[in-house]
Amino acid sequence: MSVRQDERLAPAAPGVPMTEVDCARCGATVLARKSSWEQTSIQWSARAMAVCSTPPADGHSTCPALRESIARAAAEGRLPVLDEVAPSYGAEVADRPAHDH
Amino acid sequence: MIHVTETDEIRLIEAEEVPTRFARGWHCLGLSGGFKDGKPHTINAFGTKLVVFQGEDGKLNVLDAYCRHMGGDLSQGTVKGNEIACPFHDWRWGGDGRCKKIPYSRRVPLRARTSAWPTLDQDGMLFVWNDPEGNPPPPEQAIPVIPGATRDDWTDWVWNETIVHTNVREVIDNVVDMAHFFYIHQSFPTYFKNVFEGHVATQVMKGKSRPDSGQRGGKGPKLLGNSSVASYFGPSFMIDELTYHYEGFDLESVLLNCHYPIDENSFVLMSGIIAQRSDVLPGDAADQMAKTMSKFILAGFDQDVEIWKHKARIDNPLLCEEDGPVYQLRRWYEQFYVDVADIDPEMTARFEHELDTTRPVEAWQAEVEENLARREAAGSA
Repeated sequence: MSVRQDERLAPAAPGVPMTEVDCARCGATVLARKSSWEQTSIQWSARAMAVCSTPPADGHSTCPALRESIARAAAEGRLPVLDEVAPSYGAEVADRPAHDH
Repeated sequence: MIHVTETDEIRLIEAEEVPTRFARGWHCLGLSGGFKDGKPHTINAFGTKLVVFQGEDGKLNVLDAYCRHMGGDLSQGTVKGNEIACPFHDWRWGGDGRCKKIPYSRRVPLRARTSAWPTLDQDGMLFVWNDPEGNPPPPEQAIPVIPGATRDDWTDWVWNETIVHTNVREVIDNVVDMAHFFYIHQSFPTYFKNVFEGHVATQVMKGKSRPDSGQRGGKGPKLLGNSSVASYFGPSFMIDELTYHYEGFDLESVLLNCHYPIDENSFVLMSGIIAQRSDVLPGDAADQMAKTMSKFILAGFDQDVEIWKHKARIDNPLLCEEDGPVYQLRRWYEQFYVDVADIDPEMTARFEHELDTTRPVEAWQAEVEENLARREAAGSA
């Protein structure tokens, strides 16, 4: 098995790639992505894990400080949100009848 | 009239051959009590046949079943002391994989050693450590103890086993597959998140009951929904801390979802369930509840199997934004199929993915209401 790339993260338009975000509390730099205001992906690195001052105790919680930092980056436009960058694409194009062309 | 359509490239399904190697990690072989009868047991796993036997010392042992002498099947043999005796020529094999004695020979030949799998008997289950490189299990990958499994205020395990004829990756993919819970299992997820880190892959899910499913209807307290935190500890053993929310009370349960590969194209899928006894669910009522849940889970397996039986293996799934992180899950899963020295830090680095369930919940709510309206119309007709 070889590991493939998630095409949703491809930097090509109209998608949005994973983007660096710094945690406002500890300064850890992670890669984050938001396809909508509600959706969030976070890729940690070993370095970010080492920098993080308060790793969540239960293993599956997201650090509240990092969550807030990502939300702020999105609100301030430093982290693109796919829903804003490209509110719709794909289906509408595909659904267009052939004689439109 | 001829319409010329856009010359969009057609998406092709890609799939490499299934790996012939079996995952490194702890695998549960079932409830340990069944192996403790002083007899050898046959288990087909990891592309070979295993013999499971308990020696007089009480320890459970797992060896390759084929005797290195002339290929006899040790699982058809006899337990003698702490050794398994081959039915063919009575060669005696210890739990460490070494030939201890050949009654008709003065000496045991050199290299008289067979494959032995490290075992763990914990919480009523037998586990084996599989490692193609032959290294011992690292302590940090130990299967966590499940407190409820040994407590009097919890039920005993209700256990299911079923053979599935496909590659094990299909069952792993479910970790990130929120939508199939609605379409296949008649659940209604409202919250969905995954976290992968180290050898652990977690799915956090909240759901509400489906009034159109009919599976939880009937008498008794009203089921509102459920909260689940389910983690694979290694490649094959998932512990799901599952709470059912009823009107006025919660019901705590632990659901195990685990498997071991028979070969690259089949595996044994198992589930184990325990439920906590409480004021609202005392004594036998909890046992009954666990049995009912077990039936429900077994039905869920059948629903998955029906899909797996007919589907194509796909290495390049085409995903929408409301799908989970399939590629990142498979990247995590790959760590168990490469030598330890070849584990890419990306495979074990922490990755978090929280789904936006806004659109799915809207669509599913509408579908549930349609189903109810259709049922009502059919009922009044």
